[in-house]
Amino acid sequence: MTKHPSEAMLALFAAGDLGSLRRWRVERHVAACAECQVEVSEFSELCAAVPAMMEPPEISWTKLAVEMKANIRLGLEAGECVSAGRYEGPGIFNARAFAVCGSLALLLAAFLLERPTPRIEPPKAAEAAFLESSGSGIQSKTGNQSIMLLNTRARDARHVDYLASGNAMRARYVDSETGYVTVNNVYAQ
Amino acid sequence: MSELLPPPPAAAERQNRFVSDNLRRIFLQIYRIVGNVADAQDLTQEAFIKALQRQDQLKDEQKAAHWLSRIATNTAIDFLRRHGRIAYCEVDIHTESEQHSPEELVLQSEHRNYLEDGLRLLTARERAALVLRDVEGCSAEEVARRLDCSKATVRSHIANARIKLRRYMARRKR
Repeated sequence: MTKHPSEAMLALFAAGDLGSLRRWRVERHVAACAECQVEVSEFSELCAAVPAMMEPPEISWTKLAVEMKANIRLGLEAGECVSAGRYEGPGIFNARAFAVCGSLALLLAAFLLERPTPRIEPPKAAEAAFLESSGSGIQSKTGNQSIMLLNTRARDARHVDYLASGNAMRARYVDSETGYVTVNNVYAQ
Repeated sequence: MSELLPPPPAAAERQNRFVSDNLRRIFLQIYRIVGNVADAQDLTQEAFIKALQRQDQLKDEQKAAHWLSRIATNTAIDFLRRHGRIAYCEVDIHTESEQHSPEELVLQSEHRNYLEDGLRLLTARERAALVLRDVEGCSAEEVARRLDCSKATVRSHIANARIKLRRYMARRKR
């Protein structure tokens, strides 16, 4: 009888994981060796039992699936949020183009901050209230009287936008240090 | 300030279908490698997010399931490499099937502990190779591709894993 194959050879032979020549050699030995036959049969039983060993415990799959789907959606949204800030696409959307666009945006923001703000003129201009927005806040004027909503850190802030519609005005500011956004809404009556 | 637009409805629908169609399979695949539900849940989510963020890299949609499996396997193996070993932890398990008697639950728990002790003896790659070969029925070539190693290495991992488990079971029988 030939020499016993190694334990590793028998482990692979049991599930058909050997190449044809090695398989033939091991097969020939095993056919004549009771000791190796026992070993091969134990390995075969083990291979058959492995799938059951790897099964998870009984779990509430419905609940788990709902939770995972929600987390996947959340993760994708968070990923989009992060990548939106650092995307460097091909062609014209390269770093240089972004730098130029950024400079233009800064210039535009500076122009908007210094520019006289839009006024909402009601039909009776003399006594009626109107709203004015500037880099320091929003002001409501009626004749000689005025009330101002100051955005205390507006001077340091990066101004985001004005929005005037009807008798209301909104101004948004981003604090340059903290990144907090302040929204002022003023309604004239 | 940039406005974030949600994906168009058709794309979102496609993503949801892709997740629903593959979620259970990928969860099981990862669970079998990492060995506990909580980590498998986190890693399944991570694998889907990675896949969906890189879906433009996928040229052939027919291969999406295979591609996702590969991402899942790599995610699980990377996790085990970072954490060094398979960590089983208690999870709050609520079954959907019929209630079991306390005796049945104790027996199940003992049997599970017995299997888990055996599986804990395997390295991450041995366990991954065994899962892919003996549970998912992949060929040695396929396992080698998924684990990014040679066929000889795969055979060595599989043989080691089977030997360790057989010896463990023999010891426990005595």
